[in-house]
Amino acid sequence: MQTQSSRWLGHGLYLVIMAVLISGVYFAGQKIDYSWHWERLWPYIINTESQDIVAITDGTAVVDAAGRLSIEPDFGDDPQIVNVYDTLVSRHGDLIFQGDTIARIDGWRFGPIAEGLWVTIKISFISLIFAVLLGVMFGLMRVAHGQVWRNLAVTYVEVIRGTPLLVQIFIVYFFIGTVFDLDRFTAGVAALSIFTGAYVAEIVRAGIQSVPVGQMEAARSLGMNYVEAMAYVIMPQAIKRTLPPLAGQFINLIKDSSLVSVISITDLTKAGREVVSGSFAPFEVWFTVAVLYLVVTGGLSLLIQRLEKRLSASD
Amino acid sequence: MTDSTTASATSMPLIQARNVNKVFPNGCHALKDVSLDVQRGEVVVIIGPSGSGKSTFLRTLNQLETITSGGIFVDQVDLTDKRTDINVVREEVGMVFQAFNLFPHKTALGNVMLAPMKVLKQSKAEAQKTAESLLERVGLADRMDNYPSRLSGGQQQRVAIARSLAMKPKVLLFDEPTSALDPEMVGEVLDVMKELAKEGMTMVVVTHEMGFAQEVADRVVFMEDGELALEETPERFFHSDHPRLQRFLGQVL
Repeated sequence: MQTQSSRWLGHGLYLVIMAVLISGVYFAGQKIDYSWHWERLWPYIINTESQDIVAITDGTAVVDAAGRLSIEPDFGDDPQIVNVYDTLVSRHGDLIFQGDTIARIDGWRFGPIAEGLWVTIKISFISLIFAVLLGVMFGLMRVAHGQVWRNLAVTYVEVIRGTPLLVQIFIVYFFIGTVFDLDRFTAGVAALSIFTGAYVAEIVRAGIQSVPVGQMEAARSLGMNYVEAMAYVIMPQAIKRTLPPLAGQFINLIKDSSLVSVISITDLTKAGREVVSGSFAPFEVWFTVAVLYLVVTGGLSLLIQRLEKRLSASD
Repeated sequence: MTDSTTASATSMPLIQARNVNKVFPNGCHALKDVSLDVQRGEVVVIIGPSGSGKSTFLRTLNQLETITSGGIFVDQVDLTDKRTDINVVREEVGMVFQAFNLFPHKTALGNVMLAPMKVLKQSKAEAQKTAESLLERVGLADRMDNYPSRLSGGQQQRVAIARSLAMKPKVLLFDEPTSALDPEMVGEVLDVMKELAKEGMTMVVVTHEMGFAQEVADRVVFMEDGELALEETPERFFHSDHPRLQRFLGQVL
């Protein structure tokens, strides 16, 4: 057993080592010929600049008594009405040409990095759900009595685990995507869930097989059929045992989702690449992107840990 | 017996095993022409050295183990018939295991309630009422909300017995129910089994508890090398001069 004091000593030592490492990185950053501009990143995360509202046709500006701005077009179309704005740029009676700024609106919107983060979360979450569905299905097939099912499941797992995800993404997007006319987001979700599903299937199989045979026998001897025994006795126990490896697989899924940027999905990684070319701050961008990935994976880790704790009531 | 069938049906043995043979895929001939009848309300104890096929035979009676040839009838239902719904037969043939096999993710009460709710489609209230009275009957009224990991071996085995009883089986099979127990817990489980026997439950028991066999059994069966070597009433059985039985009893007593 650890004593209290040796534990505090360990924590202290850890802090010292981390401080040395971080300051090492910091001074290395200072030493190189690179000017750090963290502040340049903000507009790419949350953009607080006011937005221009532009005219869609040529016409004349009309500001009515209520302060509502509208553009009466020169040629018979419906007027462009602007109800919400903060600063008026055009005045009543101004001649307006298409593309002119007629008003500005304050407030903020998400920058490309935030939008990329959202795409990453969305694509990971949807893929995770399909991966679990595929994984449970093929995991059950893997332990089924019928040889056909087992062969099919083994083929799926081996083919998917034996080829690189990057290649799978290209095949799904360019071949399957062409056959079924999939958009890139669907193709990305499909590739990620098929890939992760194979690993989940193996985890589910291992989980089922780790439940003692006696559990199935007890369930069956009480008159439950195979499906009932699986659903009420085997799977609840298997799921509990598979949670730690599943957590690892889900974290992999989030990280693997960065590969979908190759089919032009603007996820966090691709947004990062685009922002680098716009902001000329590559180091800052990539550090930020890494931290954002860490936040997402860490959050998921925490969530699963809490789930594990709740399920361990019977231990 | 609460049987509504005809008199001739009730006088038929509840379990009939006819020339049962079992050959495992690895070539091991585990059961050789085993035939045994069990009457309603009868307690049959099977003893024998390990590897004699007694557990295998018991497990064929609810088809946890399939047989190679022969016939097994439970309440005149042919278990080897492909059209027989084995799940329906198993509702009526309860089994208690050496390793208890309680469901670790359910409380004692949950263990007893699960099958009546899912298989017999009883309401939760109904299943709970039955489960509570059964757990009370096996002396665990105060442990109903405990998970198996919080129960002693003897308590777990009593929950397992209550779980089997919840399906209102016609016969209970016991596969070495006390072999995995610490010595001081054997008594509590045997007491429950004696109680059941007294109430007229039909039981087939594989055990090494000779005292139980002597006291409770209507018939004792000795198995060796996959064969049913001897079948007698307890008095005659324990005074038999069957040489192999003598050797076995000499080893265990």
